[in-house]
Amino acid sequence: MAVEYAMLHDISKCTGCRACMVACKQWKDLPADPTPFVGEFQSHPDLSPTTLNLIRMTETIDEQGNFRWDFLKFQCMHCGDPACAKACPEEALIKKDNGVVSFIEENCVGCGYCAQNCPFGVPKIDKERNKSTKCNLCEDRIEHGMVPACAKTCTANAILWGPREEMVAIAKKRVEELKKKYPHAQLYGVDKSDGVGGTTMMYVLTDKPSVFGLPDNPKVPVSLTIWKDIAQPGGKLLLGATTMAVIGALVSNTILNRGKKEAQEEGGSNHE
Amino acid sequence: MFPYYVKKDISLLSFVTTQHGHILTAIHHHSGGKDMKLSRREFVKLTGALGATLALTELGFDMKTVKASTKEFKLKGSKEFTSICTFCSVGCGMICHVKDGKLINLEGDPDHIINEGALCSKGASMSVLPNSDQRVKTPLYRAPGSDRWQEISWEEAIERIAKKIKQVRDENWIEKDVDGDKEYPANRTEALGFLGGAQNNNEETYTFVKMARALGATYVEHQARL
Repeated sequence: MAVEYAMLHDISKCTGCRACMVACKQWKDLPADPTPFVGEFQSHPDLSPTTLNLIRMTETIDEQGNFRWDFLKFQCMHCGDPACAKACPEEALIKKDNGVVSFIEENCVGCGYCAQNCPFGVPKIDKERNKSTKCNLCEDRIEHGMVPACAKTCTANAILWGPREEMVAIAKKRVEELKKKYPHAQLYGVDKSDGVGGTTMMYVLTDKPSVFGLPDNPKVPVSLTIWKDIAQPGGKLLLGATTMAVIGALVSNTILNRGKKEAQEEGGSNHE
Repeated sequence: MFPYYVKKDISLLSFVTTQHGHILTAIHHHSGGKDMKLSRREFVKLTGALGATLALTELGFDMKTVKASTKEFKLKGSKEFTSICTFCSVGCGMICHVKDGKLINLEGDPDHIINEGALCSKGASMSVLPNSDQRVKTPLYRAPGSDRWQEISWEEAIERIAKKIKQVRDENWIEKDVDGDKEYPANRTEALGFLGGAQNNNEETYTFVKMARALGATYVEHQARL
């Protein structure tokens, strides 16, 4: 059993420098994604096939009336129970023991089921190549004992990477400290019993998740669960049963028919 | 495993599953009996079709196979060099990965005292500079009154700079300072200025200052103070 890793983004430490976005593009050789100035400091409106990691900037006025800027590193959450992997008909998305929801591009047919079913709206379909795209937590780097590019470059030590247990311990300690200043400070993705089985991308938040554009209670879509866990296995079972019945019929018919033929032949020889 | 006996002692058909869940059909065919009516050809056809059907329907076996990524690791076959970021005056250390004479990756140097492995958005994007098609690769010279730059060789550029330094230094040499009726030896020039950059390392800056002092330049500045 491989060590389960996790990434922790402490948004109270993040300075919004976007070095993680650049490091991500640098490592994955992704081109720039030029965006116009839209009157706020948000660079890209959403993830795209060439922007797999995005700093979301939110302007908030808290309960005391203080203006606050928040920065949230947004990319694939690497759920414990990934809806995308469940939805994928081609096994292009697989949850690994080390916590990564791995994406195998060769298997991807660009059907877009992952994008439809992701509770966070992460996967984006590259229409030119007809492939899904999402963060793979720099799986190749992890395999070679390196830290994911975003965590490596973080100037404020806001992105941490390590064994999940260690990250959870750090996160719990940090959120207790933050509660003194931010009464709504909370963890996100740490609890493995939530609707998506916890996430490998964990957060220390200073406020409710909805403030940062994250779903408060992320869930694997019910329609997907019904289809994949109940309807499809049931269908397969029926198909299997049908096949077995056909085999049985073929085999028994062959034997029976031969028995008849033999009887006929034997009967004929007796007459002569 | 569910063996099927088509006729006793004649043919045995069994389905064998591998550890990965792939279904293989194994046929043990003892064609000894002379009363066998199911020909070998028919038998193979039948079992093949059944095997394929079973494999398709999965029958509850876990067919999930975790494929290893076929992509080659980006840094395979590359050499590591250390460098210093060319942007601001902080002077962060970098590790550059070079493959076939081309910079393919660049990241913060974890052993560097200043940045400890981190790089800001500008530093992290620096790998595009050496690979840019707009990069200036030779010294450029614009003649007085000209409206264009022309490429010149390094030899020509260094020669020209050296001559100019000598000329300016000689023309603006201050040998003595006079304070009231007293004279002091000065031996300096105020017409030359030396400007250092954040990306110069310790040894380079030492040589740099030494050269400035040897030429008698008093204005030695650094990018960080600008």
